[in-house]
Amino acid sequence: MKKSTLLTAAAVAVMVPMLLLLVSIKENKAEQQTQNAVPPIMNSLKGGAVAAGDVAKLPAIKKYESRSAEWGKYYPRQYDSYLQTSKSIEITDVLKEDPALVILWAGYGFSKDYNAPRGHHYMLEDNINTLRTGGPVDDKSGPMPTACWTCKSPDVPRLMHEKGELDYFTGKWARWGTEIVNPIGCADCHDNETMKLSISRDFLKRALDAEGSRPFAEASHQDMRTLVCAQCHAEYYFKKTDWTDAEGNKQLAEVVTFPWDNGTSVEAIEQYYDERDFTDWTHQLSRTPMLKAQHPGYETFITGIHGKNGLACADCHMPYVREGGVKYSSHKVGSPLEDIQNTCLTCHRESEEEFKQIVKRKLERKNELARAAAAELAKAHFEAAKAWELGATAEEMAPALLDIRHGQWRWDFGVASHGGFFHAPEETLRILATAIHKGQSARIKLRTVLARHGAADYEAPGFSSKEEAQALIGLSMDKLVAEKMQFLDNLRPQWLKEAAAKGLYDEKTRQGMAFKTSYSK
Amino acid sequence: MDKKNPLILVAILSVTAAVGLFLWVVQESRALSYLSSDPKVCINCHTMNTSYATWQHSSHRGKASCVDCHLPRDSFINKMIAKSRDGYKHATAMTLRSYGNVLRVSDDAAARIQANCISCHQAAVSQMLDNSALYDRADPTVAMGRRCWDCHRRVPHGTTRSLTATPDNLGVKEL
Repeated sequence: MKKSTLLTAAAVAVMVPMLLLLVSIKENKAEQQTQNAVPPIMNSLKGGAVAAGDVAKLPAIKKYESRSAEWGKYYPRQYDSYLQTSKSIEITDVLKEDPALVILWAGYGFSKDYNAPRGHHYMLEDNINTLRTGGPVDDKSGPMPTACWTCKSPDVPRLMHEKGELDYFTGKWARWGTEIVNPIGCADCHDNETMKLSISRDFLKRALDAEGSRPFAEASHQDMRTLVCAQCHAEYYFKKTDWTDAEGNKQLAEVVTFPWDNGTSVEAIEQYYDERDFTDWTHQLSRTPMLKAQHPGYETFITGIHGKNGLACADCHMPYVREGGVKYSSHKVGSPLEDIQNTCLTCHRESEEEFKQIVKRKLERKNELARAAAAELAKAHFEAAKAWELGATAEEMAPALLDIRHGQWRWDFGVASHGGFFHAPEETLRILATAIHKGQSARIKLRTVLARHGAADYEAPGFSSKEEAQALIGLSMDKLVAEKMQFLDNLRPQWLKEAAAKGLYDEKTRQGMAFKTSYSK
Repeated sequence: MDKKNPLILVAILSVTAAVGLFLWVVQESRALSYLSSDPKVCINCHTMNTSYATWQHSSHRGKASCVDCHLPRDSFINKMIAKSRDGYKHATAMTLRSYGNVLRVSDDAAARIQANCISCHQAAVSQMLDNSALYDRADPTVAMGRRCWDCHRRVPHGTTRSLTATPDNLGVKEL
């Protein structure tokens, strides 16, 4: 009896792994067949040649279709991975991390509220919730122009097409509240018929042509895998432009414009703004005519080693992934460090852990210089304010203020390019070093002015938290938050309702969205 | 005897089933093909597509097949032991899906490959072999203390090595 039981047990024991192996071989063979098959051409997919009946029955994707779910019916995998950009749930309050930023941006919206960016899924939500866009009560109130929507939604190219670009760029931000309701999506980068990458915002084409070294007409497919991102991840300003509408009324548009006429380096753009006497705002403390840098990601990337080697944004931020036998590019755009295996290690030989350490150290180096620059510049603002208070003249102050303008512009360029510490560490550290130099140069000049006015030993006030810094510049945060909540409780729901009635709004884009801000309790 | 009968029957049936299953696995996995040295055997599994395609377009194509580099060539027995061990590891990884898109050789395989590099390129590397005794930080897993492909990065599988990202690897479908 014992022998036969043992024999049975042994037979079963060897059959289990063999069965597993067999199942796996069958599965892998099926995968092999899919993978070795000739890939279907996009056009024949639309014609219904592939997957027969089902695809043919789908409605065609309309031009300027801003609801990504409509595209997702044809491209479920890409769409599904795109939806996963919702996983970057947490808010990081950057002002809290370095309160000096509140002082640097005194008198400007960023001193009120500034968070690290979240995934594409949250583009609109965060734009609408930030205290910077204020609390409009109707379509003509609020602090910001329509241009603030420009990089947030595929409804923007649709509106530019329907209304004309200049009309789109005219009026207050709240004007388009009932029209712009879907976050960055398919239509921002793809042609609806061919799925080819396409530029949906003409200001990028104009800027490339104005800069001249890489005209848009010469862009290859590999270039396009960067340029579709560069539509938004680049430095811009709102160029005031007069125009006359169909009824003959004079209008003023604020048009998103890339300042690349002299080149894309930090100095070339600085010179562009200086030549035009452009200022983003006048600093509340130092009365400096300031510049604000906004995420010059593209400009920085092209100076770095990955850019020089012909890589595109999509190579690392949208890696190829596999599902069964199907290969596609992940549309969960985010940090490549979340998937080192499919990004860095494709070309590099180190281990994941070594990579994390290398990148971490790069970030620390940038932070060290960025903090030093911010500290210098914050002190310079206070010292300038003191000099004004003691009766310094505009002539006395001008050289120091020019240093503050340039120094802060460079610091901002270095930190606002987000991944700059990795994309182009040498360039980013160089820029931050010049920012420190300019900041110190301003402080030496200011010290002379202060001495002349009897305050040679003036010490700038200290602050240790975001709240203290905001109190120092007299920001009434309670009022700002109350205005915002009033807007979010009244006008906002109305916007969504009207947009839904017009059939524009894809409700899935806000499903399960939690209210997360730096000011909500 | 009567009482034992059903259990013996079960045992006989199980063993027969196991043998049958074994034969089925041998057939499905094309087990006998692995006795050959033909590179096409390696793309029995599509996981090797990219390695095959890159090798097929490399200068090594005409001179060295997969096994010429990846298996020891000092004796037939060592070759078969290494082949069985690799086969077992690969079958396990495929079954459990425990591999990623970027495949790397193990230290053990690296040592074998390096020995094969040296044996073919003996004349070219003889001086380096002598100098390697002076290396500051030698890699103990390979002969000569430094992996040839740390510098010769493209040899022979190219620099972009990922099952999803290696370019131009569709040529392997003509099996």
